[in-house]
Amino acid sequence: MLSARTRITAFRLLVLVACATPALYITWQWFYGDLGAVPSEAVVHFTGRTGLILLLTTIAFGPAFRLTGWVGFMIARRQIGLWAFFWLLAHMLSWMGLDQYWDWPWIAKEMVDLPYVRYGAAGLVLLVPLAVTSFKRVRQAMGERAWHWLHRLVYVSAALGVTHLWILTRADYRMASLFLGVLLFLVVFRVGDAIVHRR
Amino acid sequence: MARYRYPALPASEVTPKALFEARRRFLRRGVALGAAAAAPGLLWPQGASAWQEALKSELDGELPTRRMAGGEALTDYEDVTTYNNFYELGTRKSDPEVFAHKLVTDPWSLTIEGEVEKPGTLALEDVLSREALEERIYRLRCVEAWSMVIPWIGFPLRDLLQRHDPTSRAKYVLFESILDPDNLRGQRRSILDWPYREALRMDEAMHPLTLLAVGMYGEMMPNQNGAPIRLVVPWKYGFKSIKSVVRIALTEERPTPSWVAQNPEEYGFYANVNPEVDHPRWSQARERRIGERGYRETLMFNGYGDEVAELYAGMDLNRHY
Repeated sequence: MLSARTRITAFRLLVLVACATPALYITWQWFYGDLGAVPSEAVVHFTGRTGLILLLTTIAFGPAFRLTGWVGFMIARRQIGLWAFFWLLAHMLSWMGLDQYWDWPWIAKEMVDLPYVRYGAAGLVLLVPLAVTSFKRVRQAMGERAWHWLHRLVYVSAALGVTHLWILTRADYRMASLFLGVLLFLVVFRVGDAIVHRR
Repeated sequence: MARYRYPALPASEVTPKALFEARRRFLRRGVALGAAAAAPGLLWPQGASAWQEALKSELDGELPTRRMAGGEALTDYEDVTTYNNFYELGTRKSDPEVFAHKLVTDPWSLTIEGEVEKPGTLALEDVLSREALEERIYRLRCVEAWSMVIPWIGFPLRDLLQRHDPTSRAKYVLFESILDPDNLRGQRRSILDWPYREALRMDEAMHPLTLLAVGMYGEMMPNQNGAPIRLVVPWKYGFKSIKSVVRIALTEERPTPSWVAQNPEEYGFYANVNPEVDHPRWSQARERRIGERGYRETLMFNGYGDEVAELYAGMDLNRHY
């Protein structure tokens, strides 16, 4: 049987591989021209989906800890949360650069005209204070109570992300419904847990 | 009186190399297939279907070409056949090519009914034997803000309609795609109200630009592009150009197209390409030309305003989107 410390290290390594491999995959596809007729669109969709999956996984690490009692989930949560942030940042940057060619007037116009762009941008902006306060020292300086309150914004951010995807969807809502279902499950679990444990 | 000066041939009228090569490829393949057919029951037990034989012999001949995309370059055949919206075969852009073999096109017949003096159901080979094929190079503008330039092969819809003598009550033309949920995965879910339906006003249907296409790039229509016979209405968003048509009905009442039924706020009956009227969720002012970097300004009526604007004279296109 592996020691507790080794298991945590192995899990952190697993998270690293799981979060970094899609980046290698999409880069490979980009350079080998495997992304179809509109590669920029494929990259934007891929980074967005990966980011949203990782954001929901970050949230799911809480319930996973509550259900299993294994501390590894809490230790790796910061790591996977930062990966989610970076993937969503890559999503926005690939949209601005690869898809919109850094055409700032047009990007600004899209921001003003299109609700889905605003929801997506708001979701990402909300993650910035969470990423900034993820360092251990900042967290200690803030105090646990304030830190936990602030980090509940992750639910708002995920909800904005799912809304962004929902608005963009045309006719076939399978994927958007899956994301929405997972988010609702996580919210219900969190609320139920809070009621049961009066926290 | 000034003497008529015959116009010089512009460079844009020269057959593009890719197209020329596509025809050469097709001809070579035709020879190979002919050889295979000659070896009895070896490679090709049943032979090609009747309509495929009929179409092949027509495609081998010289077809007149009208280039109506302002000399813009043709989109790569590869892109035109791998980036498709054909929800019957799946909702991802790559699905229609992956599941193309699920579309059964043999045999194929076309029903023409409703407000016509001579209704009927014809085998596709009989439709083809009556019509003169030609090539038309058109822009295709999707409602999703991307576009292509495609050399279609087909015949004007009005040639077909006139043979069936529309009655005076014929005000609209309804088109229906194939319904085959056993094979078409998209039709097993209610993404749209199947079968896919589209419709045109009679004058739109009778317009000389409106085409029934049976091929593209000098070859038979690939399944993912709407084989064996599809509509092409170049001044309207792509979803109007219904694929794999099995039924055409002339009606007095205005039919409700599938996308209009699905979301009337977002998709109108006319669906004319119009850079000034945005889709509620995105801009229609510009478009991504597949295969190009950057964006192009979207043209009113997709650049066919000289030919079709008069059809909509006096109409408020903001309301009749």
